[in-house]
Amino acid sequence: MSCAEPGGVTAEPSYTDPVSDTSAISLHRRPWQEWATLAARLILGVTVLVAGLLKVTRLDASVQSVRLYQILPWDVAGFVGTALPILEVVVGLLLITGTFTRLAAIVGSALMVAFIIGIASVWARGISIDCGCFGGGGAIEASLTQYPLEILRDTGLLLTGAWTVWRPRAPFAVDNWLFAPLDPTASEPEPIAEDDKESTR
Amino acid sequence: MSQSNREQLRRNQAAQAKQKRLNRIIGVGAVVLVVVLIGVFIAVLFQNQAHTSTTSSATPPNATGSKDGIVVNPGKFTAGAPVVELFFDYQCPVCKQFEGIYGASLKSLAASGAIELRYRNMTFLDNNLNNDASLRAGIGAACSDFAGQYSAYHEQIFANQPAKEGDGYTDDMLRVTIPATVGITGADLTSFQSCYDQQTTKAFVSGTNEAASKGGVNATPTFHVNGKDLSLQTIAGVKPEGLGDLIKQNA
Repeated sequence: MSCAEPGGVTAEPSYTDPVSDTSAISLHRRPWQEWATLAARLILGVTVLVAGLLKVTRLDASVQSVRLYQILPWDVAGFVGTALPILEVVVGLLLITGTFTRLAAIVGSALMVAFIIGIASVWARGISIDCGCFGGGGAIEASLTQYPLEILRDTGLLLTGAWTVWRPRAPFAVDNWLFAPLDPTASEPEPIAEDDKESTR
Repeated sequence: MSQSNREQLRRNQAAQAKQKRLNRIIGVGAVVLVVVLIGVFIAVLFQNQAHTSTTSSATPPNATGSKDGIVVNPGKFTAGAPVVELFFDYQCPVCKQFEGIYGASLKSLAASGAIELRYRNMTFLDNNLNNDASLRAGIGAACSDFAGQYSAYHEQIFANQPAKEGDGYTDDMLRVTIPATVGITGADLTSFQSCYDQQTTKAFVSGTNEAASKGGVNATPTFHVNGKDLSLQTIAGVKPEGLGDLIKQNA
């Protein structure tokens, strides 16, 4: 019945389709998953933001840390070392504010995958470095390396990122305003309810 | 008919609302992008500023041909003598230890002409320790080469390395105390201090660090014989007086 409705065009990517009466749902009726997403979003966002801020003022050190992994060619490492802290700050801010949440979480998760690969790689090759994740870095004594801990931490962060990619909708997000449904007052029963079910799987 | 008009109106309103929403999304996306670009611009600006603050620049007279280090014994080594390269950072405690144990031995090998000795200065500990003492010490050492005192100056830097890593070298140490110790005086001292104050050799020192890093050296001390790495463990296996033979074996 609704296929001819103009409202049909409001079908959005699954995370942008709050049920049309979102405003009517009081906080206690939010599914627990949304609160989990808020927590996941903030944990990943704050961590990445802090990591970025600690490095962004000292880009030379950041470049040097990337070079110590001995994975990327010299010049590419220079670019990555410069861009990484800036990217981290941006992704951190987007996640904390809940702006373009899914996209930010995809990038954040990709960063974690890259970090895990990098750390596992230096570990496997027997290189002794501080990961330089929060600034610092540098070659260190083999006994001082913390590879298992660093990988565990990044795996945890990857999980928060993956969760946020899967269920990006959460309270206190710019997305809730940005992707607000069209004219909720005029809405009639819409197929978006279907979509929502689909997105929650 | 009126039904159709109402329908039309509804369609228009819906289309407008949709357009407005799209504009909002694009607008916020654009703001995010602009903020990012400004951030990148500022970061690049700061970095370039940090790299180009010197007014004059000069290369030490005994610099290697590729400007990646300084030859300690120019003109003294015999043709075909093994090229020994020592990579170090003036703030590196193990480098000070190495200098203390094998420094004299290396210098006598260099003086006798048995090896060509090249010092390749690195400054990456500045980044780790968040100061600029490695760079300033390197600048001082390179400036001392104009007075022909490079080797002695180098030795004195390590002799005066602060007990606590990260405390760094004072300007007073590098521009007054060490020159006095190694005998840079008079006009030489004036030009040395001018060289140090204006960071005339900064570009050269940054270049030696970069060249070493590009060559894959990222820890100090590192010891190369004819371009091949000779591990610290191997060197530690011989007494200082056996260093010459070890170099010959690995040449």
